Amino acid sequence: MTKFIVRRIIGLIPLLFGVVVISFLLMRAAPGGPQAALAGIKSITEADRDKWLARWCLQEEVSLYNIALEFGGWLGVLNCENEGWEAFISEQGGPNALPAFLGGGDNGIIHGDLGLSIKAGRPVTELISERIPATLILTSVALVLWVGVAILVGTYAAVHRYSLFDQGMTFLAYVFYSLPTFWLGLMLIFIFGVALGLVPTGGIITTRDWPPFNTPQYWEAFGQDPLAAVADIGRHLILPVITLVAVNIAADSRFVRASMLESLGQDYVRTAKAKGLASRVVIGKHAFRNAMLPVVTNVALEIPFLFSGAIVTETIFTWPGMGRLFIDSVGARDYFVLMGLLLVTSMIVLLANLLADVLYAVVDPRIRYD
Amino acid sequence: MSESTLPARPAATPDPESADYEVALESLNQWQLAWRRFRRHKMAMVGLFIFAVMVFLAVFGPVFWPYDPLSLRSDLPGPQGLSPLDLPPMGSDGAGRSVWSLVSNGARLSLIIGMSTMAIAVTIGVSVGAAAGFFGGRVDGFLMRFVDLMLTIPFLFIVLVAARFFGAGELLPLILIFGLLSWPGLARLVRALYLSLREQEFVQAAKAVGVGNVRIAFRHILPNAIGPIVVSATLLVANAIILEAFVSFLNFGLKAQDISWGNALARSQQTIAVGNWWWPFFPGMAIALTVIAINFIGDGLRDALDPRSRE
Repeated sequence: MTKFIVRRIIGLIPLLFGVVVISFLLMRAAPGGPQAALAGIKSITEADRDKWLARWCLQEEVSLYNIALEFGGWLGVLNCENEGWEAFISEQGGPNALPAFLGGGDNGIIHGDLGLSIKAGRPVTELISERIPATLILTSVALVLWVGVAILVGTYAAVHRYSLFDQGMTFLAYVFYSLPTFWLGLMLIFIFGVALGLVPTGGIITTRDWPPFNTPQYWEAFGQDPLAAVADIGRHLILPVITLVAVNIAADSRFVRASMLESLGQDYVRTAKAKGLASRVVIGKHAFRNAMLPVVTNVALEIPFLFSGAIVTETIFTWPGMGRLFIDSVGARDYFVLMGLLLVTSMIVLLANLLADVLYAVVDPRIRYD
Repeated sequence: MSESTLPARPAATPDPESADYEVALESLNQWQLAWRRFRRHKMAMVGLFIFAVMVFLAVFGPVFWPYDPLSLRSDLPGPQGLSPLDLPPMGSDGAGRSVWSLVSNGARLSLIIGMSTMAIAVTIGVSVGAAAGFFGGRVDGFLMRFVDLMLTIPFLFIVLVAARFFGAGELLPLILIFGLLSWPGLARLVRALYLSLREQEFVQAAKAVGVGNVRIAFRHILPNAIGPIVVSATLLVANAIILEAFVSFLNFGLKAQDISWGNALARSQQTIAVGNWWWPFFPGMAIALTVIAINFIGDGLRDALDPRSRE
């Protein structure tokens, strides 16, 4: 198993590299460089800016050669403070690609530096890590709700096939599957937020009761009254989570239902019934467990959709997560932030694929990978 | 395929003088059989009807409202706008535009984007998938690694970035971006179909009589793979319509003066707080209805074009 995982991870690296190369090309091939945007930021002195531009190999003109240079700088292989072939050499005299303590440079992703936000003038790593908690709260709650409800609804519909419930759910699944997610979000905001006034329609916390989210002051206040803090976030979570998972629940409850129906038709289920086992045992132990095998894999494969769904959900509900950072950065053409976010999301996609493979083997003892 | 290439069945009593002679000779080809099966699928017929209404709106939309959707009328007050009761049938938005004229005019661009994206994606997807499945070996390896790569790139991420960096609010770049990014899934499907079909006897027969590769791939194999391809094509239309709405809603899509359903929804969130639900509601319903209709049509086509489902 370990061998299999290691082999898969090694196989994923060229894929990740390809994704990064294509995205970088796409972003830098469009006209408009970072120089002008950076000039507008007052917090950086001109000398600092020039040094930074040189170190990251940022060029004014768009050409394939220049994009290759910039990509080298972004990766951390090049340091363009030196001219020509010297660019491969770091300030310390060693090859720039090596870790700093071995005489390498300190720019680029291989040194753990994702660059500088052109818009905010702050390191990208800082910007992204600030946004991670909010996105993780949203997506993890969404994941639990999504899997839980899909399994409950799907199983119940399969056991009571063609009942009113089953047919109603089939219809609902069709409808939800055809709705644009953001539109569902807008309607939920109107019905439950504006018309009924039951739940908050934006933000992650009540701003007049709490310090700004994810600041040290906030966590201090959180520590003093964790229950109230969790309840406050919970109230703000209701609408975004429903918006985020409604489509997934619709699709996957169908998937669970189909899988459950197939396993209910198997011979061992008939045998179990013939033995005179209670139907709860037959359904819960014999049919359900086997029906969950494809579901587990499917859920793992769909985890990336939570993060892409978060893009629009966070925008509508002004949720301070990575999705909104992404939208803001696309608008500002802030490509270092975009490349950082791309790196994070494609790693999530690839890890989800890996997780699906591994889970498949873990939950199904018949599968052997060695 | 089989029906259309077979000679027409001789009529039971071939009588050239009879008026029924030609009718008797007429055999149903594959498409007629498929249409017959499609007509029996009730939901698919409902879908077809709704879709036809949308196409009608797309062509004749402006006729149904006396003024153009961009004319800002001072008698339609903002920011709340007029409710559907005050300005039937759909009220007005926050900027003095009638929502009905947004919906009826938006149909055109939304459907154009949906159909063109599908056309581009099907052309590329079928070509790549057919080449990979038909030739196999190194061609297959290379093309499928590329498809893997395309499927790994987070889709919304790359669509939004491309729309912002290259779109410039124009229709053509947007369609190209959608089309050039939506084909990999279809390519995979077509490859799988070709892999199994190229081993069948009729392909060997065609090879034996010296038919060229391209002709075998497109004249002999393609008609047998057409069912699943048509079904995915309908889904591509639906997805492109939703995608356009999504991109335009986030203001990375078409210019404000080009009305599509997605564009009609952009900025509509601002007026929700003052109680204007009809602005986002009706364009969204138009999208949802169209997409449901297309999904139903796809379902009907799946049954109708499946060669195994004979009556």
